[in-house]
Amino acid sequence: MDDEPFDETLQSAARAYHTPPEPPREEMWRAIEAQRRVDRVRGTVMRRWIPWSMAAAAVLALGVGIGRVSVPDSPPGSAAPVRVTGAAPAPRVNETAYRLATVEHLGQSEAFLTLFRASLRQGAQERLASGTARHLLATNRLLLDSPAAQDWRTRVLLEDLELVLAEIAQLSPEASAGDRAMIRDGMEHGAVLPRLRTVVPAGTTPTRGDL
Amino acid sequence: MDDRDLIGRVLAGDPRAERELYDAHVDRVYRLVYRMVDDPHRAQDFTQEAFIRGFRRLADFRGESALSTWLCAIAVSVTLNGLRTLKRAREREVGLEDAPAIGVRTVEADPDLKVRLTHAIDRLPNGYRTVFVMHDVEGYTHEQIAATLGVQPGTSKAQLFRARARLREALADFARD
Repeated sequence: MDDEPFDETLQSAARAYHTPPEPPREEMWRAIEAQRRVDRVRGTVMRRWIPWSMAAAAVLALGVGIGRVSVPDSPPGSAAPVRVTGAAPAPRVNETAYRLATVEHLGQSEAFLTLFRASLRQGAQERLASGTARHLLATNRLLLDSPAAQDWRTRVLLEDLELVLAEIAQLSPEASAGDRAMIRDGMEHGAVLPRLRTVVPAGTTPTRGDL
Repeated sequence: MDDRDLIGRVLAGDPRAERELYDAHVDRVYRLVYRMVDDPHRAQDFTQEAFIRGFRRLADFRGESALSTWLCAIAVSVTLNGLRTLKRAREREVGLEDAPAIGVRTVEADPDLKVRLTHAIDRLPNGYRTVFVMHDVEGYTHEQIAATLGVQPGTSKAQLFRARARLREALADFARD
């Protein structure tokens, strides 16, 4: 067999092998752009929230520490008067530390939920790090168990926030539209974001709408 | 603007630079991917994935090859992995009695050289097919193929030689004619 002429025929015929159509440039770009936006947000969230979460944990720990140190030891034999009705108020310095930690935490949660809700709108929420939600959830649970939750408004807000954070923390990249809708409904029906914004003083939030 | 400036802007977080980079290379990447998968949806998915990975790993690009070669290398890797996954999925779905028919179509009834050649190329092992498509179909040089696939140019030449030999074998009756 003479290979050369056949190779030429082969090469010439091969040019028609799986002839590509016009590339769907805009459609592909939209998908790439959406993913890139999520990548950037994820990077931003990770860069911003890791130090913030650590700071919140540190403030919380500081609050607990101050609380322990500031509660005076009762001298032996001098029993403190017992209040028969109502819960005893926590020492003042303790309250301030917990309030500070709570405001810090709610501020972070508000910024996180704002970013998360924006990414829901863009249909790319599944890529957001659920780790951030888990981190906030851990702090949230600490605060619920702390004197910060003695104020009923704060407690109810922390409880509602806990539900939303727990749902986001469990959100997997394969989450269905139903899962996403459930989270969105949870945020909207409980008016979690507006309530957070009411509680959080202006200027304490690290970022807003940074998508 | 050369690749280096564009890469610098992308790394600085300029989304317009990402679009420029995409526009400059998308046709070439898509063509290559499509030739290998022959499916518009998969070609779209693999091309998107290649660019997403490219952007994510752009900081690792050392400039040892052209940016287009580097992107094509990512695209080939994404495509071959995708095709492997697809083949595994098909093998799981298809019963044993049908297994020999995977990716193989009867060619005896096709009198046309192009149709038979298409089927014969489809049946080449992925390594041979990739080199054949890049060289004989898309017109890459052996040096470009070697840089894309991370092999020596000699390996690319050898694979092309074997791929052509297989095709000659598969189309022996045409060759005789």
